[in-house]
Amino acid sequence: MDPRRDQATGTASQTSQARPVWSLSAHAGRLITLALAGLIIAVITRRPEFVAVAAPAVLLLAARRPERPERIGVSASPSAMRLSEDEQADLQVAVTGYGDHSVDLMVHPRFAVMPGGGGGGGGGAARGGGPAAGPGDGASSLPFHIARSGRRSLGVLEITLRDRWRLTEGRVMVELPTVDCYPRPAAQQTRVVLSRLPSRLGDHPSRSSGEGMEFTGVREFVPGDRQRRINWPATTRRGRLQLNTFAAERTQNVVIIADASSDVGEPGSTPLDLAFRGSAAAAHAYLAVRDRVGLVVYQRSVRWIAPGLGARHYYRIMDLMLVDPGRAGPLSRAAGITRLPRAALPPGSLILVFSPLLDRRLVETLRDLRERGFSILIIDVLNAESSGRTDGLSSLARRIWRMEQEAIRFSLRELGIPLVRWDGVQSLDEPLAPYTRRVMVSRR
Amino acid sequence: MTAAQPASPGQPTGRPALSRGAARSPSAARSASAATLLAAACVAWSAIPLTAGGVGTALLAAAIACAVLSAARLALGAAPAEPVAFLNPVVRAARTLADLARVLPWAEGMIVAVLVLEALHRSQAWHTGLLGAALLAYLFATHLAETRGRPSVLRPQAPLIAAGLGLLALAVGAAMIPAGTGSTAALIAVLAALAAIVVGGLALPL
Repeated sequence: MDPRRDQATGTASQTSQARPVWSLSAHAGRLITLALAGLIIAVITRRPEFVAVAAPAVLLLAARRPERPERIGVSASPSAMRLSEDEQADLQVAVTGYGDHSVDLMVHPRFAVMPGGGGGGGGGAARGGGPAAGPGDGASSLPFHIARSGRRSLGVLEITLRDRWRLTEGRVMVELPTVDCYPRPAAQQTRVVLSRLPSRLGDHPSRSSGEGMEFTGVREFVPGDRQRRINWPATTRRGRLQLNTFAAERTQNVVIIADASSDVGEPGSTPLDLAFRGSAAAAHAYLAVRDRVGLVVYQRSVRWIAPGLGARHYYRIMDLMLVDPGRAGPLSRAAGITRLPRAALPPGSLILVFSPLLDRRLVETLRDLRERGFSILIIDVLNAESSGRTDGLSSLARRIWRMEQEAIRFSLRELGIPLVRWDGVQSLDEPLAPYTRRVMVSRR
Repeated sequence: MTAAQPASPGQPTGRPALSRGAARSPSAARSASAATLLAAACVAWSAIPLTAGGVGTALLAAAIACAVLSAARLALGAAPAEPVAFLNPVVRAARTLADLARVLPWAEGMIVAVLVLEALHRSQAWHTGLLGAALLAYLFATHLAETRGRPSVLRPQAPLIAAGLGLLALAVGAAMIPAGTGSTAALIAVLAALAAIVVGGLALPL
């Protein structure tokens, strides 16, 4: 039996017509077995009491009626097509035209789709049923959440219709729509600000004087200065007109590199998950202060979006994280980040790298970028270690691997690339604290 | 995995609420327990009086195995959706065994084994009649456990079940009347053969 699959993807709110595949139920099969076994034994052994055993089953089977709906209407739509990780949503299922049959619904969720409310819960099938009386509409709601970011298919909805005698079953399989699940941004309130900022209006006080709000000092008045900025107490003390000076407020370009090349460890807290959550947090934090934020996703191919501003740009960044890694990007990973156009990697920008540093080519690229004068800050998201046998050779290999990792990190620090470690649980403010308390000096 | 809502056709339409639970619903668990107990009772009932050696022992072993695997099938529930490709060999073998328990019709095997076991020794008609009633109850309990339905879903067919049990009682009563001649037994055999043909016709694909 191969139940027909109906495509309801995308246009989830539309009602699609589905033809159930009808068959005898397992219950009917067992009743037939009981009836036949009883009757055959009665004939062979010439013992009428076995006819008595078969009698109720024969009576129940005789009640079967061949009335069944040829088609039913099915609509399945999630309450939101875009979600964040672990955000609750509902799958609204409506079945019409099932007559006097009972309806049993079961969702076979795909990877990372968790039926039910928040908290725990496995990824097993979720089911429910509904009463039906006469030609009516049956609507059901199934809560679910998605545990990992990405473009996720919700799974397959299995609809089982049963007649009133539970002897025949009609099955319909409906493909559920795909939902975009954005990574859940980590907590981040503070920001790393470079000492040198491009001459573009923003919110960060820079070293140069300008028209900002932050007081920087007092100097002598020169013709052309605004009179409202005269510092009268200082003028009185010195006998000459003194003027308050303020820091210019500048924006900065931030390019986030999310290393999605390694997906090792426990699903839901792999370096890839952490890299995306950290990138989402950083993008949100910097866009909130009107910085220009760009994103480079380093995966099977390099995908990027040039720095930009605003809430809409935030969603562009989030959408870039959802792109299927199987789709080839504009640059292959071999070509690397160093060949990105100037628009994607503006000179003088702050580069935040969320990476487990397991890919040698990315490490080399970071070294190259540092040598080209970019200010780089690496957030190390490696939280997994090789597991397996604990014999002498394995533990030696593990130790060598650890030392290699330490050597990579040491060499990057020696090049002047600060490196902090983030476990994905704590706020990003904690590991970044040494660099957010004061401006980060950009060295050339 | 979840609690199924009542799905009886006789109830008013309303909104069928989909609910979700971490494991099987309490009513399904109760039905599975009842089915297991009934299966054990049927096997024990049909095996009495025990006959040592021969076909009887083999049938008893087969009935016990079928009953145990039928209970395991109900306990295992639906197959998990995760792929087995990356599982270790032990878990994969366990999954294969579980799939085997799910696929084969153990309940049907147990019914046949129990009835043949009952036929092997000459017992009273009421003894066989009680076995028939217990087997019927076992079938309904298994169905409820499989579909995770509540007993109320059987309400529409309750009159038919009652009629069937009445028929069973009548047939058992008739069987207990001693047959004076061989012609009565022959007549019953003809009737049983006709009924078997009718059941065979009902079993044909829809």
